[in-house]
Amino acid sequence: QVSNQPRAALSKQIPPDSLSYLNPREYIIGGITVSGTKFLDKDVLIQISKLNKGDKITIPGEASSNVIKALWDQGLFDDVQLNITRLTLDSVYFDIQITERPRLSRIHLTGIRKGEIEDIQKMLNDKGGKIVNENLLNTTTNIIKKHFNEKGFLNTTVIIKQRKDPADANSVILDVAIDKKQKVKINKITFEGNVAFTPKKLKGYLGKTRERKWYHLFGSKKFMRDKYDEDKQDFTDKLQAKGYRDAEIVSDSVYRHDDKTVDIKIKIYEGPKYYFGKVTFSGNAKYPTAFLNTLLRIKKGDIFSEENLNKRLSGPTANSDDISSLYLNDGYLTYQADPVQTRIYNDTIDVDVRMYEGPQYTINRVLIKGNDVTNDKVILRGLHTKPGQRFSKEAIVRSTRDITQLGNFDEQKTDPKPTNINPQDGTVDIVYNVVEKPSDQIELSGGFGGGQLVGTLGLTFNNFSLRNLFNGKAYRPLPKGDGQKLSLRGQSNGQDYQNYSFTFSEPWLGGKKPIYFALTAYTQLSSNVSSYASTDPNYYHLKINGAGVTLGRQLKWPDDAFQLNYSFNVDHYSLQNYPGYLFKNGTSWNIKLTQEFSRNSLDAPIYPTSGSNLKFTVQVTPPYSLFNNTNYKIATAQERYQFVEYHKWKFESQWFQKIYGKLVLKSQAQFGFMGYYNKDVGQAPFERFKLGGDGMQSYQYLQGSEIIGLRGYKNFSIVPVGSTYTDQNNPGSPIFNKYMLELRHPVIASQSATIFVLAFAEGGNVWNSFSDFAPFNVRRSAGVGARIFLPIFGLLGLDYGYGFDTIPGQPDANKGQFHFSISQSLTGGFN
Amino acid sequence: CKSKFERLKASNDNAKKYQEGIKYYHKKDFGKALELFDDLVQRYRGQSDAEELYYYYAYTNYYLKDFTSARYHFKVFADSYPNSSRTEECRYMSAYCYYLDSPNFSLDQENTQKAIDAMQLFINLYPKSERVAEASKLIQNLRDKLETKSYNNSKLYLTIGDYQSAVIAFGNSLRDYPDTKYAEEMEYLTVKAQYLYAKNSFEVKQEDRYNTAITYSQQFTEKFPTSKYLKDAEQLKKQSEQGIIATRRYLAEAATNERLYKKIQAEKYKLSPQAQQDTTTKKK
Repeated sequence: QVSNQPRAALSKQIPPDSLSYLNPREYIIGGITVSGTKFLDKDVLIQISKLNKGDKITIPGEASSNVIKALWDQGLFDDVQLNITRLTLDSVYFDIQITERPRLSRIHLTGIRKGEIEDIQKMLNDKGGKIVNENLLNTTTNIIKKHFNEKGFLNTTVIIKQRKDPADANSVILDVAIDKKQKVKINKITFEGNVAFTPKKLKGYLGKTRERKWYHLFGSKKFMRDKYDEDKQDFTDKLQAKGYRDAEIVSDSVYRHDDKTVDIKIKIYEGPKYYFGKVTFSGNAKYPTAFLNTLLRIKKGDIFSEENLNKRLSGPTANSDDISSLYLNDGYLTYQADPVQTRIYNDTIDVDVRMYEGPQYTINRVLIKGNDVTNDKVILRGLHTKPGQRFSKEAIVRSTRDITQLGNFDEQKTDPKPTNINPQDGTVDIVYNVVEKPSDQIELSGGFGGGQLVGTLGLTFNNFSLRNLFNGKAYRPLPKGDGQKLSLRGQSNGQDYQNYSFTFSEPWLGGKKPIYFALTAYTQLSSNVSSYASTDPNYYHLKINGAGVTLGRQLKWPDDAFQLNYSFNVDHYSLQNYPGYLFKNGTSWNIKLTQEFSRNSLDAPIYPTSGSNLKFTVQVTPPYSLFNNTNYKIATAQERYQFVEYHKWKFESQWFQKIYGKLVLKSQAQFGFMGYYNKDVGQAPFERFKLGGDGMQSYQYLQGSEIIGLRGYKNFSIVPVGSTYTDQNNPGSPIFNKYMLELRHPVIASQSATIFVLAFAEGGNVWNSFSDFAPFNVRRSAGVGARIFLPIFGLLGLDYGYGFDTIPGQPDANKGQFHFSISQSLTGGFN
Repeated sequence: CKSKFERLKASNDNAKKYQEGIKYYHKKDFGKALELFDDLVQRYRGQSDAEELYYYYAYTNYYLKDFTSARYHFKVFADSYPNSSRTEECRYMSAYCYYLDSPNFSLDQENTQKAIDAMQLFINLYPKSERVAEASKLIQNLRDKLETKSYNNSKLYLTIGDYQSAVIAFGNSLRDYPDTKYAEEMEYLTVKAQYLYAKNSFEVKQEDRYNTAITYSQQFTEKFPTSKYLKDAEQLKKQSEQGIIATRRYLAEAATNERLYKKIQAEKYKLSPQAQQDTTTKKK
């Protein structure tokens, strides 16, 4: 109890009416004493009270009540009083009387698991050092009970015992005995008063409160109070949306069925079913009523649903064809529509929509908040909202999407807000609130390939800053913030195989236009030096070096989701006694120009739920055979392939769409073809397609083969019909196609992890020539899998596929296969 | 077997912990000092050494470069012990921690703004303090940072070719920071952006926009008669005038040329309020 009324001491010394709020008087503080202390220091308490001997003080007044406040704020006392011990004509003597209480040294929890203890300790952390009183005991009990109630333990009991802390005077330890008891589930839900709705339908409206029934496979059957309260709110909304405008829950009760279960009884009032009458608009100056009515899509005689009406008026709707989008995308930021029920006759309701259009707003400032790592320009340059443009909700939504596509920010927390709305000059500022997330990735793996252990170390920095490479201050722990990407990767199994690669990319080369620039280089070495000396006739050695540069830009036409990229790559192959290949010794050059025309409108990089990704690629080498005077009819393989020539075409597409609830369908089709300029030169051995398996870039690839996954089959095991190659010596084929249908469902979608499960059916095949090509004669498979995305590790995947078609000559190539994959299909890939 | 430090940490001898903590502090072993102080600050509340302990506690956080915690603890100290001889110092340090937490100009400047407010509050509270000169200097540094941010972000629009946005952004920047050191350059860049905006507009809109560029150029010449950009600004004015003549000629020709006339009508429609809102420039 706080008391700032001077008490007993006062009445003896002076007449009671001399201190009055009606007549405050100024006194000099003559002295201060403290009484009631046991462990605390009196001087410190006086200091905290901010009373100084000799100061002037008005009594009664703010200063004297502040004394109580300041002391009380310390949280050390059970009671604080300020008494006046003596009052003379000009001086006042105070006594601060306090009641100390033991303080809490720690809480000792029993009766629950270790993990639970940690969770609860965290919640009770702030109680340490506080005084132990009824309030503390009550809040402790409540916090624990609430925690378990939320998890369905409705009957949890908490018993708290206090004991002195032997190590610390004036401290107590709380022994808290918790008995969770059993989880409470729902036995039966019954309804009363329902006429039009069946109990089954009504139960369906209670989304998170469900009976314990065998057919409720998914979701919780536990009774949780807060979920139940939410459900009740939604419940009436749903009835009302069906035209029962007056529907409500009359009463409901939750009562014990047995120790483990409760029954729920809900009494409802349905009321009559209503229909829309005339819908009129008033206050609309920009668009005529007839036009608004076509957008509203509500006719006379439709079932009355306020929910539906509001949705059509204020959004949001899936494809933004509601009336609010019409206005908000055209600058009418302060647009408001207020539907008023003007007349109710029998079961029909007339509605007048009162519109407020307001001025058309123009964007004045665009600000970014929360970017602690990424520089302003990286975000600002890509936005679709710029100063001077008309306000548009759609532009803001697109900008937000583009910010999340940068990959440096938490998708859920990117939050655009119009602020500083100024109706006088019709301007508005837009603030994009962002939250940085870790975007760097590390790949550390050991795998078994070709009978040997292969280790991989890869680092990807997605928000690199090259210009700060020599600026020590910008390191955290690497120069960051310019949206550039640097990745380094090394793979080796020791002496026999080594592969190092480097990629740097800058999305805005020169900083003026979104011109994508990338530089790549790699070197790869395979040999059997660990088994044979270099003089041994069995020794072989293969070295591949490559470098490339890519330039690309976003197109304005047909729309700005299109991208055109050009790359120039040089690969050099050097073979020494290399077996099982077209020639054993010599060198080979693969110099190619690639044009890639693509359109990507996926809504998210990791777990897309809508949009498409299309890519058309053409890759050509110079036609050396036209001018190099080699007689290809009699040329050796070495002469033939010193400069490789071919042309290669590829078309890939994928679509994502929501099927039902959170279920997403991914459909994908791919086709690739490689041709030659000169019949005498024939099909090039490089860059062919190898189909089958997980689709991971394997260390077996030597001739720049393009590896395409096909789950349910062993890696590279798909060979043309009639061919006798196996997965070990498959040289690749010049034609392939592949189709895939995949259903995906998210398990966890949060900043720290995204997990989804999938089921797929796919088919693909390869051919050696167009005369054999039969696009629907494919090797088929189906299966299930899961993907986990962790910000630092990238996307990890595990699939089980069953291949239905046998591959002649490879008995173990199909049937059940497990596939593990890392970091695929993140960068718009198609595997 | 536990080390001496761990045994001390586990013990309940608060006085010993306190003494050892101060020792660690003076030996600059702030990590260990912090561990001990963390335990003690709760228990020492209301006791005679609490003030000194808290002072050291705040500094320990400061030396460990945890400026966010340090700033908070300095403030708590100042609020709890308003009459202490160290209060002024702690208020200053609290503001200074904000200053140290203020990042590079191209990142979010929330802490910069808070640092300015905290420093200003310090100056208001202790106008006679010897730290006022330093505080004023720091405030100037922080304001410079905000100006640089505003200047750079405005200029970005010019760089990426959004000329109209650049004109507006420069205007806002000059309004926010009238005495900025970038004033002269930004005024000149406004002329340039406006000229480019006009030049890249549809012909029907060009004359008005060129005229605005001419006005900006004249204002610039009056304001900065000795500027190094003077020549360029006057050149832009001349080009704008030529641009107006060219546009007029083009529009006059359109009156007799049917194909051109149709094109202009189409452009006019695009610019009309009924048409899709879009930028009124030809290309980006």
